[in-house]
Amino acid sequence: MSEAAESASSLADDRAYLTQVMAEIDEEVRRRRASGDLPPRLERELDELFLEHSPVAGRGGGLDQSLRMVDAAAFIDPVVPISSNKSGGAVIKKGLRSLNLWYMGYVTHQVSQFAAAVSRSLHLLDDRLTELRREVDAQRVPPAVVVEAPWAVGPDAWWVSATVEAMSTARGRVVHTAAGDGWLVRQLVDKGVDAYGVDPRSGLADKGELDGLDLREEEPLEHLRAVESAALGGIVLSGVVDGMTHGERAQLLEVVCDRMAPDGTLVVHSLSPSAWWSETAPPEADLSPGHPLRAATWPHLLGPLGFEATVTEGPSSTDYLVTAVLSGAPTVR
Amino acid sequence: MSASPEAAAGRPPGGAVHQFVPALIARDATGSHTLLLRQALREAGWRSEIFAEATHDELLGETLPVDAYPELSAPGDVLVYQFSTSSAVSEFLAGRPEPLVLDYHNVTRPHLYGGWDAVSATRSAAALEELARLAPRAVLGLADSAYNETDLLEAGCPRTAVVPVLVDLDRLVSAPDPRVAARLAAGGAGGGVDWLFVGRLVPSKAQHDLVKALWAYRRLYDPDARLHLAGPTPSGKYLASLRGFVADLGLSESVRIWGEVTDAALAALFAAADVYVSLSIHEGFGVPLLESMRASVPVVARAAGAVEATLGGAGLLLERAEPSYVAAAVHRVLHDEVLHQRLVRAGHGQVAAHSLAAAGGRAVEAIASVAGPPPGRPVRAARTGE
Repeated sequence: MSEAAESASSLADDRAYLTQVMAEIDEEVRRRRASGDLPPRLERELDELFLEHSPVAGRGGGLDQSLRMVDAAAFIDPVVPISSNKSGGAVIKKGLRSLNLWYMGYVTHQVSQFAAAVSRSLHLLDDRLTELRREVDAQRVPPAVVVEAPWAVGPDAWWVSATVEAMSTARGRVVHTAAGDGWLVRQLVDKGVDAYGVDPRSGLADKGELDGLDLREEEPLEHLRAVESAALGGIVLSGVVDGMTHGERAQLLEVVCDRMAPDGTLVVHSLSPSAWWSETAPPEADLSPGHPLRAATWPHLLGPLGFEATVTEGPSSTDYLVTAVLSGAPTVR
Repeated sequence: MSASPEAAAGRPPGGAVHQFVPALIARDATGSHTLLLRQALREAGWRSEIFAEATHDELLGETLPVDAYPELSAPGDVLVYQFSTSSAVSEFLAGRPEPLVLDYHNVTRPHLYGGWDAVSATRSAAALEELARLAPRAVLGLADSAYNETDLLEAGCPRTAVVPVLVDLDRLVSAPDPRVAARLAAGGAGGGVDWLFVGRLVPSKAQHDLVKALWAYRRLYDPDARLHLAGPTPSGKYLASLRGFVADLGLSESVRIWGEVTDAALAALFAAADVYVSLSIHEGFGVPLLESMRASVPVVARAAGAVEATLGGAGLLLERAEPSYVAAAVHRVLHDEVLHQRLVRAGHGQVAAHSLAAAGGRAVEAIASVAGPPPGRPVRAARTGE
């Protein structure tokens, strides 16, 4: 074998070896999580604890509080304190203050005037923003909520086995949203998939967490925005996209595209438009700003984003499943 | 080595390759690169000076003021700008007629400072604007890595080459500071492994993620493990947040923030380290990765920016940085003898590929392609470091 060929072969061996090591580390993490040695909840709490120290999170305080601080600091007092622990110190300080006061007073008066003008401008800005927010709130389109028809979700739903199958080869973590109490995450984990769930609805995650599942009470879009680029091997969306506006859906898919690893799989479960408008639809359907797409629209929507999508209609045509594999660079943004 | 007698005498050197840098700083990757490049250029036969706006106390005498250059300029000069931050040097060079080589060391993106350091974010945005102005006028762009080369191309640099940072890796394996070594030995007397990370204490280096990972590692594998963070601390806000976070986790005794350290202290830290862990989210090259490989310390690093290329397969590359995942990777490296040895051996190979002689030779060759051979002799590889 030539030197070049030997070198190439050695490089390939090294790569294969490291890939194997990384897979074993993945398995170790999965095992540790499942055993409860380091519950995923604790890892999340670490993130939250650091955010409490971070100015980026913008937690606590607000414009009101900042303005109060500006107001408090806007006046600069030229009359400096003269108390002293040393004998005669106060008299000397008072003398110095008297000598300098005409000069310091002149300077601080101008600085205080400037600070007061800035403070006044900020208050005006605050008033304008408050007014604008009221106007915007009146016209605001509420964000889509999770819309789940009880007959369409759950461990025995027709589309679950196909979803588990599609995610069984995912390289990297798989997220399900809206995960509810983790009914699908549990099935994925049982099949050896490194899965976790996200659901914005209050209290649903608690029960699943007691069972050792990694479930998070977060808004799906906010959660995906916080995930690193190309970090997810698979994403399952159920009950999430149905009631979205076109704008919300486009934002979600853009983030999905970015957070998905190459060859990652996206699974979307949605009610059909006819089921959406039927009497069997849940009340949240009426309160949603948008409505579900027709099944055939999804390949049209996902194709330009680099996905190869297939659609499977449910047995009673009341819902459908879209399975899409990220296979190329998006042609449209 | 310092400013040449010709320059000191105020005589125009002629046919020279001069470098410009906003500030020549000791123990800084760009500062060290600038000094070593000057040595390589001089050894190759060019006259070469460093012109700086500011110079670190330890390096006084190594530079000339930027505004002294017009007096010393001569036909045939080529100017090399060590670019990594915003500075008035950009404007000065934009107005000069000499051919310009842009030696680009990356600019941390403004959003990576977001909320933490408004001044640095503003400066970073200004630096990117300066890059966009200078790049199209440069005759050559030199980048530390293919990752950085992309920035040059996007900024409109007409011609580019990848030349690694010139770094004297041998300085870290000789004469460790005995006081630091003693302190590290005392700290480790009770057992536990030592993690090390070297880099500026800024949000983009993600030292907070290292703290999270250490916390997980101590819980899962080694309750006595320690983390050493070395590097300057330009962001007071981030430093305070990190200290508060460390205290909240009860890790004040286990996470040591050393600040900026001397080469001897750094040598002691590398000598004591069991593993080098980097979870940085932005790296234009990553000199400490090479230093770690030179010191035979295995590397576990998040795949960000140029990290993968700098490691060249000689480190465990992580696609994500969840604490349990990082902890498991470090544990594996420290307890799998075969993996440990392979990483260290591959690291030595990578260090050889980035030797000072090799990098200096590549830099000289690239610069000769625009400056022509040095006066009176053909271009040859620099002897630096041999």
